Amino acid sequence: MSDEAARLLAEIHAARALARAATPATRPGVAALWAHATRDPGGPVDLATVRAIRADPGTARRYRALLASQAMAHAPFAVAASDGPVASRRIGAFTLEILAATEDAPPLLILRGSEARSPRLIEVILGDETLRVALPPPIEGAILLALDPAVPEAVRLGAMLRDPACAAFLL
Amino acid sequence: MTGGYDERCAADLANVCEGRDLSREDRAWLARVVTGAVRPNRDKPLWDLAHALCALARLTSARDGRDLVSLALDPGLARPNAIAARFGEARADGVCADERGLVFADGAGWRTTWAGLARLLALAEFLLTAEDLGQFALLSGWFGELAETPDGDAAPLLGKRLGRHLAAYRNAHLPLAPLERRFRGLLGYLRGRAEFDDDDILAFWCSEMEQGERPGFRTIAEHFVTFEAAAGLRNGLDNLTAADSLEAHVGWEERLDASLADLVAGDPAETLVDLLAGLAEGPKILTGAERDDLVDLLRLEPFHRTRPLTALRATSFGRVQAGLSNRLRRGGGGLDLAERVACTEAETYSVLAERVAALAAHLDRMLRIAAALRVPAEAEGLAPETRDALAAARADIRRVRRAGFDDPARLAEGFAAADSALVRLAGEIDRFQRAIAGLVRHRPLEPAFTADRDIFAKTFAQAYVAEATA
Repeated sequence: MSDEAARLLAEIHAARALARAATPATRPGVAALWAHATRDPGGPVDLATVRAIRADPGTARRYRALLASQAMAHAPFAVAASDGPVASRRIGAFTLEILAATEDAPPLLILRGSEARSPRLIEVILGDETLRVALPPPIEGAILLALDPAVPEAVRLGAMLRDPACAAFLL
Repeated sequence: MTGGYDERCAADLANVCEGRDLSREDRAWLARVVTGAVRPNRDKPLWDLAHALCALARLTSARDGRDLVSLALDPGLARPNAIAARFGEARADGVCADERGLVFADGAGWRTTWAGLARLLALAEFLLTAEDLGQFALLSGWFGELAETPDGDAAPLLGKRLGRHLAAYRNAHLPLAPLERRFRGLLGYLRGRAEFDDDDILAFWCSEMEQGERPGFRTIAEHFVTFEAAAGLRNGLDNLTAADSLEAHVGWEERLDASLADLVAGDPAETLVDLLAGLAEGPKILTGAERDDLVDLLRLEPFHRTRPLTALRATSFGRVQAGLSNRLRRGGGGLDLAERVACTEAETYSVLAERVAALAAHLDRMLRIAAALRVPAEAEGLAPETRDALAAARADIRRVRRAGFDDPARLAEGFAAADSALVRLAGEIDRFQRAIAGLVRHRPLEPAFTADRDIFAKTFAQAYVAEATA
């Protein structure tokens, strides 16, 4: 019986020490990061959280861990064959292509996947810049998004995705 | 008090406690669940959590793991009344709420109170965010499986997974084996006694040192602090082998759990060490050296009140031992080993007692100043003695040669932030002083110190000189 008693005493000892330990909490808290990770595109954001993700590598890493956990697919960077701008990249089980603009049509982002479900959002992160854009429902298995030059967000999305260092999360 | 957990674990727990602003009781409960100090079954809270999540998945028609994660991380659901307001009217297949909490008819009648649910959500947050979110994807994946099919098998499966998961976390972040070994030794040494005295602590430390373990004297004394606090529980624990007889006592699980809860949460709201850390800023009410002294003298709470000799030993020889192990770690520096081992630098108990008296006098002086700063000079209705005492304290401020005492605005602000801590510290140091006075009556300090120095010097020599010359 003294083994069981010793075990319980050890657990109590550690619990008492832990309950007294004055360890500062990590900021921003996970609730704020989670709210940011699950926000709707274009919705209000907590600027302090955005700043912390930009300025603090530890916070950025925690935020990406949350994003990655709920993403249907994500890729930290593009696996590109050449150094040039990326026109096509894989994100998990999805393929993302950007068709160049033609005379009468803007560039077109095409996302294809074999998954039964389709992502509703794409979030791209390049350096300290983050962009979250809603995706339309798929048409015959492919999501099509026109990168309208009149919409700054769409232009920026195209430009970021063409950079091999850009991380992409499909949510 | 130290030992039994690593920094990661302390940070993981602090994040949950601060984020949800948990009460002291809930912090203590969570700390117990994490270390496993829950009986009769340390996995019970995880079983409860799995059932709670399953019930919530049905109640909220959660579509995926994300919905359950959002519930677990929502600071708006940290309080029982907030949870009751949100789910009090909710109904779903096999799950309903009554005025006390959730009832899960499909889960073999499993139920919990709103307060219990608040705790379980805190536990869910801990598990999700532990290891600095290192396991977040794994855990939210499990939550997702539960949300997809919250049927009768889902909760037991998640309960088992969480149990194994927390056991693995304990293996990685809670080095309990050394503590357990030491408590086994302590129980063996006491041979069933619940009572012990200062010399038992010293003798047990000596025997541990002889076996080559070389724990700090203070560390061993801390084990006795826990043992003493838990002594009331030991009978209950010894009887656990006879589960048949226990089951005859209605409610024994609740009673055991309640006494475990008292053990962890029963400590004063803020430890004296925390109070002292809070006094580091503002006017120099305490110097760094005074704070260090107070930390060392009062750290074995409650022994400075109940076992002053052990508190004196830990301060005097604990410092010598810390110096010895630092020197061995560094491989040199300061006094040589022979001098250290002989305890030539150890402060005598009389010197420490004088220091305690000086600290008591200083804290008393600071308390008077704090009172003078609180009460306006022109306040009416004071007894003449009080008015004189306050005037004297006000005049005394000018005589204090310390940083910040020449700036009235800063001084008042600094004291206003510090005075409740000052009251407690002054009270504790006063109780220590009285305990020393009681000790002196049957054990004069000079001969006690000389006798102790022989014991510590001999023990240090055996333990440390061999290594230095090896």
